[in-house]
Amino acid sequence: MTDTPPDRREVLRLAAASLALAAAGCDSGPDEFGHPLHGAAEGGGEAASFATVLELGGLGRGVLVRRRGGHAIKLEGNPDHPASLGATDVFAEAAVLSLHDPARSRRVREGGRPRPPAALDAALASVRAELLPRGGAGLLLVTGPIASPTTARLIRAVLQDFPAARWQQHDPLADDAGLEGATRAFGQPVATLPDFALARCVLALGADPLGPGPAQLRLARDWSHARAEGRDRGDLPVLMVAEATPTLTGARADRRLAMREVEPFTRAIATALRVPGLADTGTHPEAAPVAKALLRAGEAAVVLAGPSQPVAVQALAHAINATLGSTVMRHVEPPFARPGPMGDSALAAALAAGAVTHLLVLGVNPAGTAPALRGTMAQRPFSLHLGAHVDETAHLCRWHAPLAHELEGWGDTRAFDGTAAIRQPATTPLVPEARGLDDVLAALLGLAERGEALVRATWQASWGEAGFEPRWRAALEAGVVEGTESPALRPALRADWDPGPPAPPPSGLLAIFAPDPHLLDGRFAENAWLQELPRPLTKTAWGNAVLVAPADAAALGLTAGDEVLVELAGRSLKAPVLPLPAQPSGCVTLPLGGGREAGGEVGTARGFDAALLRDPASPWAAGPVTLRRTGQRAAIIATQTGMPADPPPVLAPGESIPPRAPGPSLYPGWTYEGQAWGMAIDLDSCIGCNACAIACQAENNTPVVGPQEVARGREMHWLRIDLHQAEDHTIFQPVPCMHCEKAPCEVVCPVNATVHDDQGLNLMVYPRCIGTRTCSNNCPYKVRRFNWFDYARSEGGLALRNPDVPVRPRGVIEKCTYCQHRIATARTQARLEGRPVRDGEVETACQRACPTQAITFGDVNDPASAVSRAKEEGRNYALLGELDTRPRTTYLARIAPGDTGSAG
Amino acid sequence: MPQHFTPRADGRLRLALLLGLAALIGAALLAFVMVRSDHAWAVGRPAPQPIPFSHALHAGGLGLDCRYCHAGVERAAEAGMPSASLCLGCHGDVWAGATALAPLRDSLALGAPIPWSSVHRLPDHTRFHHGAHIAAGAACETCHGRVWEMPQTIKVRPMSMGWCLDCHREPEPRLRPVEAVFDRDWQGRPPPANPHAGGAVSPLTQCSTCHR
Repeated sequence: MTDTPPDRREVLRLAAASLALAAAGCDSGPDEFGHPLHGAAEGGGEAASFATVLELGGLGRGVLVRRRGGHAIKLEGNPDHPASLGATDVFAEAAVLSLHDPARSRRVREGGRPRPPAALDAALASVRAELLPRGGAGLLLVTGPIASPTTARLIRAVLQDFPAARWQQHDPLADDAGLEGATRAFGQPVATLPDFALARCVLALGADPLGPGPAQLRLARDWSHARAEGRDRGDLPVLMVAEATPTLTGARADRRLAMREVEPFTRAIATALRVPGLADTGTHPEAAPVAKALLRAGEAAVVLAGPSQPVAVQALAHAINATLGSTVMRHVEPPFARPGPMGDSALAAALAAGAVTHLLVLGVNPAGTAPALRGTMAQRPFSLHLGAHVDETAHLCRWHAPLAHELEGWGDTRAFDGTAAIRQPATTPLVPEARGLDDVLAALLGLAERGEALVRATWQASWGEAGFEPRWRAALEAGVVEGTESPALRPALRADWDPGPPAPPPSGLLAIFAPDPHLLDGRFAENAWLQELPRPLTKTAWGNAVLVAPADAAALGLTAGDEVLVELAGRSLKAPVLPLPAQPSGCVTLPLGGGREAGGEVGTARGFDAALLRDPASPWAAGPVTLRRTGQRAAIIATQTGMPADPPPVLAPGESIPPRAPGPSLYPGWTYEGQAWGMAIDLDSCIGCNACAIACQAENNTPVVGPQEVARGREMHWLRIDLHQAEDHTIFQPVPCMHCEKAPCEVVCPVNATVHDDQGLNLMVYPRCIGTRTCSNNCPYKVRRFNWFDYARSEGGLALRNPDVPVRPRGVIEKCTYCQHRIATARTQARLEGRPVRDGEVETACQRACPTQAITFGDVNDPASAVSRAKEEGRNYALLGELDTRPRTTYLARIAPGDTGSAG
Repeated sequence: MPQHFTPRADGRLRLALLLGLAALIGAALLAFVMVRSDHAWAVGRPAPQPIPFSHALHAGGLGLDCRYCHAGVERAAEAGMPSASLCLGCHGDVWAGATALAPLRDSLALGAPIPWSSVHRLPDHTRFHHGAHIAAGAACETCHGRVWEMPQTIKVRPMSMGWCLDCHREPEPRLRPVEAVFDRDWQGRPPPANPHAGGAVSPLTQCSTCHR
């Protein structure tokens, strides 16, 4: 299309053509897509749900997979799994898209060329034959962190067959310092397992317990419960955070201390608390009040150190917990099969040690996440990469085999607390040549078994033959293996514990490396849902930016979107800058996970790759870094610039918002008999994790529009999360459609395409919509989204589509329906059973995903329903209530932090 | 200045305008009738099927119950299509080697679905729950006609929104007692009251009852 407006003749010609098309359309027309009438080969094609488990950083989170016609279409949390409790995180929600990703690797390749899968089996057999006589010398096995009992068993068998072989786990985000810190404090590596349900005072030192991670869902749930109890009691638990890079936990903290380095502060706290055996004391102006708050909470206090903190901080945190006698902090054996260093430096050492002739990289992408290691990985006589994509590592290795998605194959895993779960296939395998990690190990071992047989063998060994089948079936059905959580350890602080000497204060501007909230180290860069989901604290999508303190930006003469040359230890790259008030002065945050070189169509070159500057020896902080303006501008794609209207109120404990009396209205009143649906969103519980937004996208077939369209403000998320930042607090406000009883959108629609139903839902009639967008213009909450293009047909991901929700054609408005299809399903089921719909029977997708249960949904006509009770609370208020649109979605206001010790 | 038009030109123009108007109205009327015609809704037109399946033979001649193959009809939204293994339960013995049944054997061997063509196509923006209709006393025949007499399955009702609403506005005369839903020779009279049992029944003419 040219940009010149078409002349009159052109318009008439087009009009005539479209009339002709319309006339032709009166015939039977093309077949409706996405609605095949298939008789299944075997069994019914009905909706089915499977319990399985997904890994993040090697640790499992239980999920229930909803399946239609053999395809996994939506994941929900498994309430019985300790790392899910029924909730999901953004990664679990996005897994169905990764599964159906058309860019997945599909073929076994040698030297980049497709080969028959049997060729790889033959190659592995010859590797075995070659290595057996020399005891496996020269074999290096690189995997992700392994907690899976079956994989661990197979790797042990490999190491037994090949005693001279070596095995290295690799995770660029691994908590190496944590294990070393525990060893310094207790003399043994232990994993920390805080129980926030008991906590009265939490101090996070660069830790992000509420942020992405394998324990996020559990910690967030416990924290929100502790807070709910505190609200009822009038004594809120205190969350304090000292950190250099802004995190979700920091945003949610009652007191956030932004500081360049946490170590001096930690030493000052330890000094103030009189931690025994502390050689090097320290002082910090903020330490005294924080120490006081910790002391007041006593054994209900806990100090957490994040993986990015130096070993000294880790050891100090353990010592402080021991001194406080914290019962909140529990310790268990690390759930990994072989706890140890897993970071880039450990992998670099493993690659350098000995002559590696046979390199097997299974399920990880070290060449992508640690570019510094590319040189040492290339040119091995035999190298195999097993991965879901033909990525950076695949390009370096001779052989490549497609990795089966977690939802496609058998396996097992352990959660952060050690609870084991069996992973079962929950979908039709989509890549016939794909194989699991266990399958490759079995081939290396010369075993004939694959998949399920390997997992069964592991559990048969631990359960015995007798009564195995019922136990196996029970474990598959429940999604957890009962009674497998790690027993608590009670490690004592070593008498001669030593955190090590204080680190010399780094000079100049410090570069802090942080995982991207949605892409982590780049492993999720090929997932378009995660790329397009606005990052919680920057609201950026499809790229990243160097986060700079506003003061530093002003000193360097930088504004948002300026391109800078970032130089660190002789390496440099170009990146846009984004001044962020939460970033402390003196350091900049370089988010990892961007700028992938071989990330497919979706993931390649989105933002810059901070890993290029990352030194394996100091992976989390390095300096001095210099930022120099290049004079160019680099677009930062963000869905929110500036602060949204109507900042949420913050109430003092016990304070309540007076209910607003409905004003006079020109429109006739309407009574809702039967059910009237409504929602309450608790802003005191919301942690801004984005799970609701992506759950909504997965449930409602919301399209991905791509970076250019997001930059134009045309993102399609039905539920957005507004970020309100003030001097002393950050509030995340999820904004779905408010389902106003006096809906401003309805009265302006010229074709009556948006109407109310008898239960108070404000709904779209898509076939009526002619795309004037007047409704969107008149919506004060700006929750209506317009299909500028025919996304539904162009996406191609039909197998992933939720068949309960129609896809919207080009040129119509769409928006949140309160998951009307779930309401209808529950209503029909209730009617078939001859009973009314129960409270809690209808759960919207966002509500189901929420780790803190901040979203309540139900019948507002029923005074006993959970949502009615929530709306009765004094904290209940309507967004833009002065407009008197009488929204069905209301919010429960945030409670101001109590005394965090800042007053002395 | 000479006359450009003859004295009769005005009359011709009026006639032409009148005829044009009549043609427009006629075209509109024709379109109005056409889109409501059975032809436009493919009533009576069989769809091409991968296997020449005859309901007249199976349901009529052999007397199989509808639910033998469409097992989900009483409880699920979709009545359900029989799986290849169900078909082959009988056809493993009867007509076992027939080439017409090759798609069944292929389906079972490949684990792939049988690509039947839809005769009663449900539009994407509509939801329909078979179980709910059965429970309310809507018989198979009420919507699908006498399928057991059809050698080739055809639609006998337009299944347009207007047709749905005809019944939703006044369902009682078209309903049967629930126990007579699968009775092919039922001759009784509709039950007097709406048999919707329990729960709050959403008015059947609400958009959101059927549309999503």
